[in-house]
Formats: sequence, C-alpha cells, structure tokens
Amino acid sequence: MILLRLISWPYFRKHVLRTMLTTAGIVLGVAVFVAMRTANQSVLFAFSRTVDRIAGKTELQVTAGETGFDEDILEIVQAASSVRVAVPVIEAVVDTNIKGEGSLLILGVDMTGDRSLREYDLESGEEAVIDDPLVFLAQPDSIILTKEFAEKNRFAVGSRLPLGTVEGEKRFTVRGIMKSSGLTSAFGGNLAIMDIYAAQKTFGRGRKFDRIDLAVKPGHTIAESEQELRTLVGPGFQVDPPSGRGQQFEAMLGAYSMMVSISSLFALFIGMFIIYNSFAIAVTERRSEVGILRALGATRRQIRWLFLGESAVTGLIGSLGGLVFGVLVARAVAASIGGLITDVYGVAQHAGEVTASFALLAGALAIGVATSIVAALIPAQNAARVDPVRALQKGKYQVLSAGESRARMLAAAILAAVSIVCLTVGGSRVVFYAGYLLAVVVSLLLSPLLSLGFARMIRPLLKWARPVEGALAADSLIQAPRRTSASVAALMLSLAMVVAFAGMARASYTSIIDWMNTALNPDLFVLPSQNIVTRSMWFPPAMATELAAIPGVARVQMVRDVRIVFRRTPVMVIAIETSSVQQTTRRTPVEGDADEMYRATAAGQGLMVSDNLAQLQHLRLGEVIEVPAPLGVIRLPIVGIVIDYSDQQGTILMDRSLFERYWHDDSVNVFRLYLKSGAQVPDVKQRVLERYAGQRQVFVLTNGELKGYILRITDQWFSLTSVQIAVAVLVAILGIVNTLTVSITDRRRELGVLRVAGGLHGQIRRTIWLEALSIGAIGLVLGFALGAINLYYILQIVHRDIAGMRLEYEFPVSVVVALVPTILGAAFLAAIWPAESAVHGSLVEALEYE
Amino acid sequence: MIELDHITKRFEGQRQVTALADVSLVIPRGEMVSIIGPSGSGKSTLLNLVGGLDRPTSGQVRIDGATLGGLSDDELTRVRRDKIGFIFQFFNLLPTLSCLENVGLPLHLRGWPRRNVDARARELLTLVQLTDRMEHLPEELSGGERQRVAIARALSVYPPIILADEPTGNLDTQTGSDILALIRDLHARLGSTVVIVTHDMSVSQSCSRTIVLRDGRVVEDVRRSK
Repeated sequence: MILLRLISWPYFRKHVLRTMLTTAGIVLGVAVFVAMRTANQSVLFAFSRTVDRIAGKTELQVTAGETGFDEDILEIVQAASSVRVAVPVIEAVVDTNIKGEGSLLILGVDMTGDRSLREYDLESGEEAVIDDPLVFLAQPDSIILTKEFAEKNRFAVGSRLPLGTVEGEKRFTVRGIMKSSGLTSAFGGNLAIMDIYAAQKTFGRGRKFDRIDLAVKPGHTIAESEQELRTLVGPGFQVDPPSGRGQQFEAMLGAYSMMVSISSLFALFIGMFIIYNSFAIAVTERRSEVGILRALGATRRQIRWLFLGESAVTGLIGSLGGLVFGVLVARAVAASIGGLITDVYGVAQHAGEVTASFALLAGALAIGVATSIVAALIPAQNAARVDPVRALQKGKYQVLSAGESRARMLAAAILAAVSIVCLTVGGSRVVFYAGYLLAVVVSLLLSPLLSLGFARMIRPLLKWARPVEGALAADSLIQAPRRTSASVAALMLSLAMVVAFAGMARASYTSIIDWMNTALNPDLFVLPSQNIVTRSMWFPPAMATELAAIPGVARVQMVRDVRIVFRRTPVMVIAIETSSVQQTTRRTPVEGDADEMYRATAAGQGLMVSDNLAQLQHLRLGEVIEVPAPLGVIRLPIVGIVIDYSDQQGTILMDRSLFERYWHDDSVNVFRLYLKSGAQVPDVKQRVLERYAGQRQVFVLTNGELKGYILRITDQWFSLTSVQIAVAVLVAILGIVNTLTVSITDRRRELGVLRVAGGLHGQIRRTIWLEALSIGAIGLVLGFALGAINLYYILQIVHRDIAGMRLEYEFPVSVVVALVPTILGAAFLAAIWPAESAVHGSLVEALEYE
Repeated sequence: MIELDHITKRFEGQRQVTALADVSLVIPRGEMVSIIGPSGSGKSTLLNLVGGLDRPTSGQVRIDGATLGGLSDDELTRVRRDKIGFIFQFFNLLPTLSCLENVGLPLHLRGWPRRNVDARARELLTLVQLTDRMEHLPEELSGGERQRVAIARALSVYPPIILADEPTGNLDTQTGSDILALIRDLHARLGSTVVIVTHDMSVSQSCSRTIVLRDGRVVEDVRRSK
C-alpha cells in the first residue's frame, strides 16, 4: 500500500492523460457489457413482469401455442379435481393509433370468475360494470382502462377509444378506470380489460380461448395439479406456471441473447487489451524506477504486487465509471432492443423501466477489476523479472529480442497446427471451439512480429511520400514494436469481429434474398395487421372466395402460421395449401426429392422442415417427429428439408388440411394473391382495400413491399454490427492516442532535434499523423486477415449453435472498403491531440540530458 | 552578426532563478567565440537564446539585424533553418537514420529535391572525412565519428552561424582535439560565425574571443589576436 502511495500515485499524477485513457479502456468495456446486459435483462424482465402482473394469483396456465383452443377445454380443466378456479383469457396487442403511445395490451376476461384471480378496483365508473358481468356483456363495446393510460391520454368514463380490430377500426367506450395496482402497471400501464366474448369477436378468435388461468385447490400441490391437467388435456397443450412463458420468451430470444453476450464480452476483451497496452508501456518506461526499487531492497513479489495493485485500482475506478455510464446508456439500448423484439419476434414489448440488477452490477464490477488485473499480469511479471543492474543502464526496452521472436513464432506455429487439426477433426463442440480460440491466440502471438514486418514494408513507401516525416514515423514503429503491438492487436481483434459480423450479415442477406425470391413470389399479400410478425388477429377462410372474385386475381393461397412448443423450443408451424403452392412456388429441398416431398405433404403423410430446425434439433430426412397439437400429436416423417427463414428457431411446414384437423382452426394469417397476366398490381391492391373498406382491417403489401419489410427487420437484427463498428472506432482512437502519447514522450528528444534542424510545426505534426495512420493501416491489414478467419468460424457457429442457417462464405468487401477510411479517419483524429502536444513542448527541455 | 541587447532570462518555479541578467553582447560576422563559466552561470541559456530555442524574459536578440522577439515558432524555425547550425555535446543524431539521412535531414525539411539533398549530404560527409561511413547508423560509429556527422548536419546549408554546446564534452582528449581542429578548419574555410560553449580551457583558448559568464552576467570578454 505504501508503495502504491509513494511510487504509483506520483506516476499517475504525472501522466494524467494516459491514466485517463487506460481507465477509459475499462470504462468502455464495462459500460458496453452493462448496457447490453441491462437492456437485455430489462426487456426480459419487463416481459416476465407483465406476465406476472397479468397472472395475478394464477398458479398454472394451460396453453396450446399461439393458436388457442376450443372452449370445451375450459370445462375439462374446471372439472379437474385439483383445480379451485379456472378462467379463460384472450390476450391481444393492438395499435392504439395514438401518437407516441404505441400498442395496447387487451386482456379479454370472463368477469364472472376472473376476480378470484385478479383485482379490478375501479377508480371511477360504475362498480356494476365489474360487479355484474351482465352489464359488461350487454355492452360489447365496453372497455376498462388503467388509471395511468387514461390520465396520460385524457380519457374519462364515457370517452370513446378507437382501436384496430379484425373488422377495421372500432370505437370502444370507456366504462371504468382501474385504480393503480400490480395489474395496471403491466405492459407499462398500456393495458385494457374487455369481456372475453367481446374479445373473441373483436379479434376474430371464433369460439376459442388463448389460455386458461387457474388456481389450485387447497390440499393439492401445483405439481400434482400440473400432472393431472397434462393427463386430462393431452400432449398438445402446455401446462406451466406463469413463469414458463418468460422462459419460452427467453428461449425464443436465444440467438439474440447470444449475439448480445458475444458483443459485450468482446467489448471487455478489447478493454483488457487497452489496459495491457498501458501497463506494458508503463513497465518499460519505469524500468529504471523498478531497478532503483530492486536495488533498495524491494522483492520481486513486491514489484509484482505494485503493478497488480495499480491495475486493480484502475480496474475498480474504470469499472465504477463503466457501471454508471452503462446504466445511463442502457435505457436507449433497451428501447432499441424492445423495438427489435417486437419487429422480429412479434412479441410486443414495453420496457419502459431499465432496472439493473445488483447481481449484474456486482458481477460487472468484479469482471472489470478481474479483467484489469488479468491484463496487467504479464506486464507485472515482466516488471518483477527486471534485473536491477540492467535496468539502471540506458538502453532500448521496447524492442523484441530475436529469442523472443523465435519463441513466439514457434508457439504460434505449434498452436496453428493444433488449431487446424481441431478444425479438420471437427465433430465435438469442445474441439471446434478450442480450435477457434487457438486461432485467435495464434493471431495475438503473431501480431507484434507482423506489425514489425508491415512497418518495415511500408517504410520505403512512407519515406518516398515524405522523406523525413514518413521515415521517422515508420522508424518509430520499427523501434518500439511493444509500444505499438498491443494497440494494433486491439484494433485487429476489434476489426476481426466487425468483419465477421458484417460477413455474417451479408451472407444472411444473400441467403434471405434467395429464399424470398423463391418462397415469396406472390404479387400481393393480404394481412390483418401492419406488422407481419404480429399474430394477434386472423382472417376467416371465407375471405379466400371473396378475394378470388376480385377482378385481376388469378389465384389465392391461404397461409396460417403459429408458434408452438416443439421439443421445449418455440418453433413456427406454417400451414400451406400444398398442391397450390407446389404449382407456384416450387422449392428445391436441401435434402429429399421435390416431387415426393410435395406429394407426401399434400397428402398429409409427411412434414417439411426448415434447414435451420433440422440443424438445431438434429433432425434427419425420413425421421418421424412428434408435433404436439390441441387435438393430438402429429407423428409423421420428415419428407423434405427446405431453406426457410420464417422463424429463427425453425419452421415445420404442413398441409392446411392436416393443420385444420389437429388444431381445429381454419383461420388465415396471410392470403397470397397471384394476379392474372395483364392485371396491374396497384389497381388490384386498391380493389382489395376498397372491397374491405369499413368492414375489416386489411393491409395489402406488394411483393416488393413485403420483401422490403423483411429486409428492414433483417437490418434491425444486424444493427448490432453498427454498435461494434462504433466500439471498433473507439478502440482505434483510445489505443492510438495511448500509443502516440507514449511515443511522443519516448521521442521527445528526436522531435526536438527535428525542430532544431528546421522542422516546422506542420512537419512535426505530419510525422505523428503518419505514425497514427500507419498503426491504423497495420491494424486494418491484420484485422481483415483475422476477420477472414473469424468469419469462417462465426458462420460455423451460426450454423451449429445459433440459428442453424447454412450461410455461404462471402468476404464483406463493401464493409471492408468502408472501414478503411473510417479507421484511418479515427487514427487521424486520435493523432490530433498528441501531434499538438508534440509541437508545443519546450525545445530546451526536449534536448536536455539528465 | 549576433546582437544581445540587455537580455535577462528568468525561470519561474517554486523558486525564481535568474539565468541571465542584463547581458549585452555583439558578435560580429565570422568571429569564433567561446563562452565559458562555471555550471549554472548561464552559458547554455545564452546559446539557446541566440539559437532561438528559447525566448528571453526581457531584452532583444538580433541576428543579422533581425529581431527574434515576437516571431512565431515557425518563423523562429525558419531563422534556424537558414542561418544557424547546431552542434550538441551528445550529438543528437536520429538513431534510426543513416549518416547520409541524418545529414540530409535539414535539407529535406527545407524541401530540397532528393537528388540535391543526396549530393549535398555526400559532399558534407566527405568534408568531415566520413566517406566510408555514409550508410552506417549512428550506433555503428565511434563518438568522434558521430560528432563529425553532427557537424556535417549543422553545416548542411552552410549557415552563417554555428552554435556548439560542449562539442568535445563527450569525447576523449584526442578525439576532442580532432573535432576542435575540424571546427576551426571549417570556420577558416567557410567563414561562419562560431559560438562555442565549453568548460575546456584549451577549446576556449583556440578561439579569437572568450566571454566569461558568472551568475548570469558577463564578467570578462577577452579578444585574442591569432
């Protein structure tokens, strides 16, 4: 401790800027980690909280995926010996059409029994509305709002609220306003209560419920009741506590959460490099100081702890800053993630509050400090090894010895060989990831040598461009590879990640566009909701005949898609009119014979599955799978594996007749319209809209509009790439400023001589700028090289573990081209301040000898 | 001609130090002057002020009639570029550049064409008798050879003024004598004004004029006829 005060503190005070930059590395890492995690957690928490608050005293819920089930299931559940009370529920998220309000969660409940599970205390309105359900029933346009929503939008009892329904926009009358309670704060307060039978009509549910909420009879355990109900309702239903919905939601977001985790860990890793760089530089700079301490009797252990203590304090301060900054940024990130989840998964989000859990903050603090200490381990060890006699001699310590270079080369060669073996052996997940890790380690081992090599290569070019400034800039890098290499390594890692994600995004786009061009070829799509992934409202099948009668329409196909739980994972079931689809959209299966695939599917003798589902669930062609449905379990073989990106977790395609039989559901999510030759798309679109004007809520998208919509969602999904580019740019700036600040201190005399010899300010500045640009350029070259390898691994990970997508390797040339000016610009920006400090220092002091 | 007109230089800090106090001097063109005095007498400060490396607290420095006071950093650099060559005790060669590149450095900074730079650098290294060391790095040279390279660099544009701060201070006696002989020879051949700060009395006595400083003041100014 005394050494920290006597030795470290004055050093930090003398190098305030550098200390700040070092700390900024950890602030950046921890802030990104905390912001991403907090935002993700808040979104998950907001969903779970909404589920909890809506659940009230509900102990178990009976569901059958998104499709709902027939009303008679309610009687079966109510008759169960372990059930005290069971009530039906319909849940729908509708657009409020109120600016800035977004969506409203409508809960359709049966007032007769629902009050046993949920509290509905009215602030204003007739209690009779609640007390006597018949009053509510008699007025099917009734709606009860929360106090928060009503006050925000100035609604009172009697106000009329317009809402989008399957029958177009309808006006509902506010009959009551609920007092603030747990229930009313669900979904950010944007909650409304409606009678269940009114909800069935409003949202086109027919004679179906979405869910049954129930409480267990005293004397029975929840587990007993769960068991009894599973037996009674059969395998097509899920019987879970309310928290089970949260778990399903989490499972659905698995791929996204993994992306978030990778990004946040990556940010910490980068922070570690900035710390490593700073401490490696500090140790070389303070060799003589360490030598004096050793000569005065300090043990190696004391020296090691001195540097580790410094890193721990830096890590602690940086982590605290990162926590504050991260929580501040989390709100914006949460809003963005919430929007993304609504658009990609069709699950409405209302993550208004950002709540950082204590465990997360404590964990981030610990990780920040640990990262800082780990980053300083090697420099601290080097400091402890300093020989007092040699340390007190003047000399160069930033160079790489020939022995060290050889050792690095040897280690890199051995590890590279092991990595290649891991890759060729394949198979096991552990072996694959070990190979990936080794590939990164090899690149880190080689980065100082490669930096040196590149610096030597570009020297003639720089000298040719600017004989003095260019040569000196290159020499500065050549003379001090240690000073430069960590910055280059951090930049390399950062860019490698950007390249890999951009490559993955590009490959995904290519693949998605291919799929869209094959599978989504109708001229028009008729939807009940503006958002194609929201499945709150459905159409009746009778509309098919009406649409077919519209002039210009040649063919109408009905599509029903629902999310179900298959092997404990939420996947999509898409019911198609196979024989019709076969004629318009003939897909070539990845596995299986196209003719047999369509024949067996149309005959209800087989199922088609998406390639990503097959990959994620390890399914094989011909394998018989069990698909749970409300009216039994479908046991059929897989007759074809096709490319389909309708859902990240995978898709099961079946014939519509099979779906109707097992789900007892003939409703439609999307009508696919093919037009007669000569018919104009805008004209027919207009006719469809006119046909249903005032009768039904209908949205018509042209082929181009739908594809554009999907690409926009894909854009949102890959918006993380832009966060990474921002982090990469920050890393470039931080690392280069750090390196240049030290470089200028090291080269103070050299720069002084340059000025004495006649170097003008502009010439001195140019030498610093060129050094920065050279670091940026070397980082770019190495980053692109590692990025090319990283992309291969990321595509494999996406295929194996994230989305099961088989993506073609395609180097993201356009992103790479854009990164060159971005990183060089960042490098130049980073050099401005150091360059100014270089030209404004005292010449006399620069030329002084101790 | 170098003129110092009532120059005072103070260093501000926890304790104020007056390095030069009201010094006035005139060094005519072509003179070879030594400045001697004990440590802390203000010798190097005086040299730094003449070379435009530092600015006086009060008074004026004039080089060939042009006042340095009020010039910007870049204007001062231009004065150094065109009129002054520096020779340092520790040579101050750039370690990564060859002898040829070190000597050519000031010429590149002036924007000379590469071919002319190369020709002039070779000419100067020949002048200081380092024909066989042109492509060597400074670390491959002896102390005397390094100082010769530094002298060649100071002469790159044949400046009218050469300022040398302890040019023999880091060399053994024999090498120091050789370097001093070289400076005297170049002074005779090129006619530059030479100002040498030194502790070495033999160096001082070889100059036509010796200025003695003590506590920041000129206490003696001796001219010798050679």
